[in-house]
Amino acid sequence: MVALGLTLIYGVLNQINFAHADFVTVGAFTAFFTATRFATRVLGLPDTGAYLLSMFAALGAGALLGLAVNAAVFAPLRDRGDELRPLIATIGVSVLLENAQLALFGPIPYQFDSPFARETLRIGRIFFSGQSVLVVAVSAAAIAALYGFMRFTFLGKALRAVAQDRETAGLMGINPNLLIALTIVIATALAGKAGALLGPVLVLSPFAGASVIVKAFAIVIIGGFGNMQGTILAGILVGIIEAFTVQYLGSGLIDLVVFVLLLLMLVLRPTGLIAERKEENV
Amino acid sequence: MKLALKAAILAFACAISAAQAQEKVIRIGVLTPISGPGSYFGVMGREGIDLALEQLKGGVNGYHLQVQYEDSACSPLQATNAVKRVLDQFRPHIVIGEECSDASLAIAPILEQAKVVQLNAGSVTMKLTESGYKYVFRIFPNAEQQSLPLAKVAYEKLKARAAVILYEKTNAGNDNADGFEKPFVAMGGKVLAKIDFGRDVNDFTAIATRIASLGKVDVLPTFALEGQQVRLAQALAQAKVVRGGGGNAVQMGSIWLPYGYDQKAGQAAEGYVRIVQFDPTEKRKVVEDFIKAFHARYGAGKMPTHINAHAYDAILLVAEAVRRGATDSESIRERFSRFRDVEVATGKITFGPNGQNTDLSVIHFVETQKDLSWKGLDW
Repeated sequence: MVALGLTLIYGVLNQINFAHADFVTVGAFTAFFTATRFATRVLGLPDTGAYLLSMFAALGAGALLGLAVNAAVFAPLRDRGDELRPLIATIGVSVLLENAQLALFGPIPYQFDSPFARETLRIGRIFFSGQSVLVVAVSAAAIAALYGFMRFTFLGKALRAVAQDRETAGLMGINPNLLIALTIVIATALAGKAGALLGPVLVLSPFAGASVIVKAFAIVIIGGFGNMQGTILAGILVGIIEAFTVQYLGSGLIDLVVFVLLLLMLVLRPTGLIAERKEENV
Repeated sequence: MKLALKAAILAFACAISAAQAQEKVIRIGVLTPISGPGSYFGVMGREGIDLALEQLKGGVNGYHLQVQYEDSACSPLQATNAVKRVLDQFRPHIVIGEECSDASLAIAPILEQAKVVQLNAGSVTMKLTESGYKYVFRIFPNAEQQSLPLAKVAYEKLKARAAVILYEKTNAGNDNADGFEKPFVAMGGKVLAKIDFGRDVNDFTAIATRIASLGKVDVLPTFALEGQQVRLAQALAQAKVVRGGGGNAVQMGSIWLPYGYDQKAGQAAEGYVRIVQFDPTEKRKVVEDFIKAFHARYGAGKMPTHINAHAYDAILLVAEAVRRGATDSESIRERFSRFRDVEVATGKITFGPNGQNTDLSVIHFVETQKDLSWKGLDW
């Protein structure tokens, strides 16, 4: 889901969002405080209800923050027609969000327990934590919803049109700025929700998102920048490779194996696992 | 009138100059991670140092202790830049730091060349005190001092014969893992696997699955920071490997873990055996006084960790050297090397010829109980 947000922004804006990890962290903290303070203490919800509510809170926080950052930073820079400044601005936003969270929450890791993380499912000698199953299920649902939105709704089609050719889409009556804002909101909402799901898995501190973002970038590159299907396939592939690396080669070699794969992809198939057909404008 | 004004200004300037000349200061540079994932070390360390400085604000032997903090971020590169900056701008008599072994190793040769004492209170790598540096002193037990007792207890008390060693891929983790493996194997034990991981790993499910497939494992000595230890213990419990999850293996840990780990890991920590140096339940007067002062400053609900205590002790040791007549880096080094049984919150300090504290008398084992409290083990 983290990689999907990255690839979505790149697909539409042709821009890498270096602040994406921090939206994940914001989502994780939103979920943590919603689940452990607001939902349980104020609303009196049971653990499961509190955690499920926290996922929606994280989704909303990611979306709102994305909307605000786009309006305050990305949109004005984009209007100037410079491609480099918005890219550098994402680094600035990342540093800002990271340090704001450091000031607000401090550096000592929080313990975020989800009721699903306490459950274990077993199939023979293989086991899954309930949280892992939830991550897969919610991610699959989110991916399906996003796919349906992009494929079958007017807004989704308009968004794809903007991704293909912003100027022509504008001539067809589509407001590109609105669609770009929508793209950023969807991507950051996905990041927020991913934060809620990963919060109980990660070591929750203001730097939590940074630990997943490097892998997310690798997945996006292997899958093909801007290609949703490729990203999903690459995410599954990297997960399987990691599990087998731990089992047969050693956990210390995970990064080595994944990044060798990334380099091989860049050399042998730079378009990614699923090459996107690009038609030149005439 | 003009002449009188000039004379007054001159007299005032002379008075300030004289006062500055008479002000006796011991400058202490503190290199600590203030940013990045290791920054909780910096927060806790600063709490301990500020508490000690508050208690010493009247000065020691006429000397005022002046501290300058620099962010070294647990990183060799940033620590190198920070130590050069602090040497250049602050000209310290002593530098306390770093917490992370890799960063501590990076600054040691620079301080050695500058002939400035490095007092370390948080790194375990053997190389820090085994590289022949004259200006390095360490109060934190090194990897061997931590891992050897773990190996002995595993073999002799827990009757363990099969171990899987889990450790972060750093100088500290490597040294601790080697420090356990060699004596354990020499005693007749078998290491089924040594599993290392980077500090960015969060999901330990695959590692726990692998361990579960290795057959009978008796002990799992683990060397990682608190956040990863929590996730690792939970994954091992879910895989039914450790006692906290209904398995048979005992997870073992070192002084790395701060007080409060057990509550964070929850039921997965049940049965966890570890060595501790700073124990808030200890009845020594210096410990009780430290905890009382800590509560008075930071609130009764906050229990100090070993990171707080080690940082606090580092300042007390500098003060002790000054009390014994030290006035500059060279004399601090000389006084440190003569320290014998200097009692502080984390134990007694007797520096060996290599600068390593050799007194391990307060180190003891504890086991996490079902209610997540500690039970002291008489081992």
